Amino acid sequence: MKVIKKIIVALIVFFLLNQLYKHHALLVFAEKHADQYLQLHKIKNCDVIYFSASSNFPPENIEEKDPRKISQFIADHYPNLRFDAVNKPASHAAMYLALLEMLPENAEAKRFIITMNLRSFGPSWINSDLESALSQSSVFYNKRPVLFNRFLVSLNAYDQKSTVERQELVKVHWNHDQLPFEAPKNTVTSWCAVEKWGDWRNPKRQLADQYIKQFGFVIDEQNPRVKDFDAICNLANERGFQITFNLLAENMETADSLIGTDLTSLMKRNAKWLVERYENKGFTVVNNLEVLGAEHFTDKNFPTEHYFDTGRKTIAKNVAEALRYEPK
Amino acid sequence: MLAASYFFYGYWKIEYLSLIVISTTVDFLAAQYIHRNKSQVKKRIGLSVSLITNIGLLMFFKYAGWFMEDVLHPAAAIDLAQIERFKSFWNFALPVGISFYTFQTIGYTIDVYYGRSQPENNPLKFALFVSYFPQLVAGPIERFSSLHHQLFSPSKWNYQNLQHGGRQILYGLFIKMCIADNISPIVDVIFNEPSAANSTQLAFGAILFGLQIYSDFHGYSLIAIGTARLFNVKLMDNFNAPYTSISIREFWARWHISLSMWFRDYLFIPLGGSRVNQLKLALNIMIVFLVSGLWHGANWTFVIWGAMHGLAYLLERFFISKNTANWLNFPKWIATMTIVFTAWIFFRSESLAHAAGYIMSMLNNTGNGVDLTFEPIHISLIGLFILSDLHFRNRSISTWLDQKSLVIRWVVYAFLVFCIFGFAGISNHPFIYFQF
Repeated sequence: MKVIKKIIVALIVFFLLNQLYKHHALLVFAEKHADQYLQLHKIKNCDVIYFSASSNFPPENIEEKDPRKISQFIADHYPNLRFDAVNKPASHAAMYLALLEMLPENAEAKRFIITMNLRSFGPSWINSDLESALSQSSVFYNKRPVLFNRFLVSLNAYDQKSTVERQELVKVHWNHDQLPFEAPKNTVTSWCAVEKWGDWRNPKRQLADQYIKQFGFVIDEQNPRVKDFDAICNLANERGFQITFNLLAENMETADSLIGTDLTSLMKRNAKWLVERYENKGFTVVNNLEVLGAEHFTDKNFPTEHYFDTGRKTIAKNVAEALRYEPK
Repeated sequence: MLAASYFFYGYWKIEYLSLIVISTTVDFLAAQYIHRNKSQVKKRIGLSVSLITNIGLLMFFKYAGWFMEDVLHPAAAIDLAQIERFKSFWNFALPVGISFYTFQTIGYTIDVYYGRSQPENNPLKFALFVSYFPQLVAGPIERFSSLHHQLFSPSKWNYQNLQHGGRQILYGLFIKMCIADNISPIVDVIFNEPSAANSTQLAFGAILFGLQIYSDFHGYSLIAIGTARLFNVKLMDNFNAPYTSISIREFWARWHISLSMWFRDYLFIPLGGSRVNQLKLALNIMIVFLVSGLWHGANWTFVIWGAMHGLAYLLERFFISKNTANWLNFPKWIATMTIVFTAWIFFRSESLAHAAGYIMSMLNNTGNGVDLTFEPIHISLIGLFILSDLHFRNRSISTWLDQKSLVIRWVVYAFLVFCIFGFAGISNHPFIYFQF
């Protein structure tokens, strides 16, 4: 009996400590290590929340006529709705899923636009070095007591592989994942070896390699991102969320000019697979894959989804139009 | 318990269990042989077999690579390709805890040799003594005479053990996770690029590393002692407020106590102890400190660290009276801490060149300063740790808590839990002494 009493007192004390931490210490920690948690809590009562990685942002160090985010451009089309965004560079479907799962039942937000970044389905992004930091922050994105979550972070109880380990994993995919082409284009590694741009010192060769490495994969049901998006759909059905997927634009022109139509056809095939899968599940997928020319992309030395204002506006317009046809 | 201890160790790398088994088997048989034979020659043979086996294992796994790289290669006796082939063949990784359990088992054989201990006749019981899991990987290094009665008596789970063990584990976790793990990223920044840091930061870095290694190892020791206490086994204390020492001699009576006592009993005294002429005594002291430095790792930095302590110890012993006026205590403390923290620079550095660069940058103030972020909560926790260390000098937190009311005890528990859960460091830093 004495032991049971002590356990009960201990649980009460832990509950009080958790409240103390939540209201007086969490903010300082979360600002540095789990900022999406804070972003979501601040805007949970908006009408529409836009989830994205860095693609939402204007380019750094470049002056633009209209340096606003994609989410803000979408909001222009709906002046009567409260729009806001949760962004974190390198973020992906697993994070969006975790954030949606922890959204309080009483939150007013029910409509979400979730970016679907084709590159994020590839092994390079799945095993990115940034994944450790994202996994660390995702420990907070659940409904466990925050003090316990903070403790798990201290114990490094999350996916914390070293850079070398992650690079090895990526190499395994590049060496062995089969692509739907005849050899030598049947794996990323062998494809990169037969490009037309000379040796690795040629900047064009380096960029072409990156395009193959970032987009040379075939999406299927076993892809971890697909599993996360499936889970997002299930959650949306359970909780009555309205979700629109925004399949982001890629620099198809550059990919085509550097590598040829094999790679762009593979990208289109993957995009089509995603659109069909999620439309069949009853969700809207705005396919922006090919809507932007090379001039709209800010980064010239690496394939990214960073756009100038003209590009951001085009994507926003397409998403905004799709929203009109969603059930109110 | 033996199966649990072997599982615990084998979980790291199952191959290394064979080393413990070799060490255990040889020492078990050697002790039996020494005890059964009356002939001094045969006893010496038994002892030699034990020493050669254990020190041989230690030398091979800990020092072979270093010996080839730093001694044979400079002497042109071996080329780098041969060293690499040797290393890749043996897939070198230092077996965790080898320095600790080999010393513990050597101590047992020496005790049997000198008749201070009876040999254990049950090989399984002896194997448990060598591999007892709470203190297997980083001590405290125990004596057979103090451990065997406790280990082999029927285990008594009782509330008092749970209470005392739990408190020590809790306090150990607090100082490891909230102090050491919060300090370590700052120490890493300073030590990784000493040329960029300014003098103040470099001096601060040496002090912080001193605090880090203390809280890291003291924290580990308390967790080990507390865990053993849960099973009704009392291990010796390993630390007693070492940074309050006013001499190097006192420092070593308070720092890593189990290792200091081991070196005293199994190296210093067999070398002749204090009952020799002054020159031999000085030599014996230096041997002990140099071996102590080398015990920590195969690097000249550890040798210099040991040598600095040895020289300071000799200076104290031969030139400074033990009984000085009280007002001199503070200057003595400053002098002692200056030596201790300067020596830590060598201990933490990757090489002698790195340590020399660190000290030169500190003296010349050549760096522009590095970006160090220290949160107020961490400064408060470190301050609290220093104060508590002063408060618990010569006594443990557990006995202090015994004298307090229930409410105060629970407030202390809640505070420690709150700090461990809410403010522990988040970078991945294993216990420093696991590498030794």
